Amino acid sequence: MTTLLERFISEAREHLESAAAGLLKLERDPADEELINEVFRSVHTLKGASGLFDLPGLTRLLHAGEDLLGAVRSNRLTLDPEMVDALLDTLDRVSAWVDELQRHGVLPDDADVASVELSRRLRAFLPNVEDVVTADALASPTSRADWLAELPEADRLTAFAETLAGGPALLAVSYVPDDGCFYRGEDPFNLFPQLPGLRSLQIFRREPLVPLAETDPFHSALAFRALVAQPRAEVEHLFRYVIEQVTIVAVPPETLILPVGDLVNQRVLPPLAEDARRRLGARDFAGLRIAVAGLLERTDGRLWLASALRWLDAVLAAPLPNVVWAAAMIDAIADVNASPDGDAKARGIFSPEPEHLVPPAVVPDKPMAARILAEQMRIVAIPGDPEILRRRMAGVAATIGNLLTSLGWSVRDGELSTVTAEAAGGMPGRLLELITGLGNRVERAVDGPAVAPASAAPLLATGTMTDAGQPSSGEAAQVAHVLKVDQAKVDVLMNLIAELVVSKNSLPFLAKRAENVYGSREMGREIKDQYAIIDRLAQEMQRAIMDVRMLPVSEVFERFPRLVRDLSRKLDKHIELRIVGEDTAADKTIIESLGDPLIHLVRNAIDHGIESPEQRAAAGKPEAAMIQLKAFQEGDQVIIEVSDDGKGIDPMAIRLKAFEKGMITEEKADALSDQEAINLIFLPGFSTMETISDLSGRGVGTDVVRSAVEKINGTVTLSSRKGEGTMVRLSLPLSMAVARVMMVEVGGALFGVPMDGVAETVRVPRNRVRRIKRSEAFILRDAIVPLIRLRDLLGLRSPTDEVEEEAVLVARIGGTVVGLVVDRLREGIDVVLKPLEGMLAGMRGYSGSALLGDGRVLLVLNLKELL
Amino acid sequence: MALVFTATRVRFEEVCTVEDALPLLEFLKSTDTPEIDLSPCTWLHTALLQLLLTAHPRMVGAPADPALARWVAPLLEDGRRGFDG
Repeated sequence: MTTLLERFISEAREHLESAAAGLLKLERDPADEELINEVFRSVHTLKGASGLFDLPGLTRLLHAGEDLLGAVRSNRLTLDPEMVDALLDTLDRVSAWVDELQRHGVLPDDADVASVELSRRLRAFLPNVEDVVTADALASPTSRADWLAELPEADRLTAFAETLAGGPALLAVSYVPDDGCFYRGEDPFNLFPQLPGLRSLQIFRREPLVPLAETDPFHSALAFRALVAQPRAEVEHLFRYVIEQVTIVAVPPETLILPVGDLVNQRVLPPLAEDARRRLGARDFAGLRIAVAGLLERTDGRLWLASALRWLDAVLAAPLPNVVWAAAMIDAIADVNASPDGDAKARGIFSPEPEHLVPPAVVPDKPMAARILAEQMRIVAIPGDPEILRRRMAGVAATIGNLLTSLGWSVRDGELSTVTAEAAGGMPGRLLELITGLGNRVERAVDGPAVAPASAAPLLATGTMTDAGQPSSGEAAQVAHVLKVDQAKVDVLMNLIAELVVSKNSLPFLAKRAENVYGSREMGREIKDQYAIIDRLAQEMQRAIMDVRMLPVSEVFERFPRLVRDLSRKLDKHIELRIVGEDTAADKTIIESLGDPLIHLVRNAIDHGIESPEQRAAAGKPEAAMIQLKAFQEGDQVIIEVSDDGKGIDPMAIRLKAFEKGMITEEKADALSDQEAINLIFLPGFSTMETISDLSGRGVGTDVVRSAVEKINGTVTLSSRKGEGTMVRLSLPLSMAVARVMMVEVGGALFGVPMDGVAETVRVPRNRVRRIKRSEAFILRDAIVPLIRLRDLLGLRSPTDEVEEEAVLVARIGGTVVGLVVDRLREGIDVVLKPLEGMLAGMRGYSGSALLGDGRVLLVLNLKELL
Repeated sequence: MALVFTATRVRFEEVCTVEDALPLLEFLKSTDTPEIDLSPCTWLHTALLQLLLTAHPRMVGAPADPALARWVAPLLEDGRRGFDG
């Protein structure tokens, strides 16, 4: 995988998350412009970045999403829950693809088909599909079709005329089948005649010509380029199975104006320019066309000039001729006439790339743009009756619109139509202002160094130019301070530091050896001094790396607004989610393993806990139910509470259910306290739901929660009041990289017992040990504590010598207290716990191993599994 | 089979598929001045089109099918040998 792709993947995740979060907030507050801008920006940035890679399906889907968001942003659409659903599905899909990209470096095989389907779903919301596609394609950097000049001029002229006369927008379709396409049953050429809007087709060879004798008839070597007047969705549908080999680009009509022909044998023409400009200024299109026709008659049809004249005629023939285009054509013709040289093949009037429409091609023509604007000012100022005014303003609006298009500029959506409508109503003030603003901008664009206007920004509103591509200094500074690092690298660093911590522990042993074996006290002390320094540094390093690995719980909380929204929509329950303390941080491993348990808990709360709106009303509760996720730190533990204000758990119902399922006896059911009864739901296979729903109630949820939490050395407690709600509390260690264990000696070997399971250590005189049938017990503060001999449990050899006192480690395991008899109690130490690997991986009873300072391996016991 | 071969001429009958590619190639290779008659053709597979564009045989019958007449015939007419753009 390339570094670039890696960067893209990590950034894509951020953008996807922020877009999804924004969408959810937006659904609640659709009027928040800042939010919609934010979501739009995320999707837009993502789409732009995806263009760097060959991911057509992904880019297309994001493009569709961006279009929809763009329509919402410009108030052409109001966001509704269905749209949010579609957009969220889109983000989910893209995020699944990003995961796939990370794993395999490519999109899944069905990505293109899925992308087409989902894009269509998104586009179905759009009021006018074509309109949006064209507008966006103009702004998108991928929109270029530089081969338009190679299409026959006659085809281009026809398509141009049709479009200006109100026909569908034009698309440039380029299809390069791969060489094995015949084997897959594809027939590339025959797709094109199926397009009713096909206006021009160019068939060419994408490989050098092979002599017939060496030709492989099943090796596809052709490629196709077409000009199509048809909605994009229809074209995409036809090419849906080969869409990754097809590029579809919107073609603004003026980019077709590419006169071709011989520039060398240019005959000097009578001065056309002066007369033509005069007629154009006077809007004498008919007269100008006659003049052009006359010239054309006297010009060799193969010349560039003839071609240019034909195009000028086509521009003028439109129902509403575009003055800017015509003027540019006339200037170009005059130019060529004056200096007949240059690129004979295609001398474009308008560059096909919209972003290059600006300097030097058109903008330097300050007199032209300024003249047009001045002309419009004059027209606006002429008084007239309402009907004439209205028509005149429509003309002005069209002219200004065309001017903007040809300059690659834009004003705020709808602004132009609003102000011209005002002018038509007799209030030309704002229209004049706008034209003046444009005039100033033309001056600046010409006088200043070639500054590319950022076409998306509402430049006119502020009246200032944005220098595109220059991040503000604030942004730059921010970027410099954040370093993105692969998590695996941090993990490696942490492992190294952990090993350093362990190996520095060997220095005191070395000091002892220096003293005892080599008889050098001095040396021993020096080693100890050095050890103190290394110890401090190692501990600081450890703290620092722990800090790096700390993640806020918002990492896992983030997904819940979405989950709660989806489920509450599905179940028709009105639920508010409150998140408290999302800044609370814990080690990455802890945070990551929290996801599944929390999902189970929240689902349970929604499905089982929260009542239906009717039940809530009957119980006198507010209609909107509340689920709260709360995180906070307590000592060296992170506490996460999931609470709801639902119906709570009925201890009686639990007792009954457990008894019915044969999990407990009747006597035991009666003997249980309410709290103990509630805890029964953590037993495997327990579910009170009558029917298995889509959401939860499969009888695995709570069991999974408990085992997942216990795996990371956490505990779960549940409290509930019938009718008032339920709260589940997860207590988790802040970090699990370094574990504190108590060392014990059994049968001559050292074992570790995790400190969090150790309640206390006591010495019990032999005569105080009671024998109850075959088991032993002793009394600790008026409670009977069963005794278990770890030696027997581990199958170690029994020592023959009897001792006066038993060393007992009192452990608390899941609420019950057990006394473990060991040979000797040793000190507690910090160790880096490594899981058992290889052949030992499946061994029960051990949670892992740790290396001691003197090189010995310490096996750490898992008491829960052992007992 | 939709191709009908005579000594120096091949007629494309209605739908001509990729399966006709190999016989067509053999014919084009083994005939000195091959001639083609596309007039009854309604569907010309890309593989066949590709062969015709490589060998450029003389077209004695132009296709009646409007799509083929519009997009393919001009490429095969006399005097237009090159189509590489």
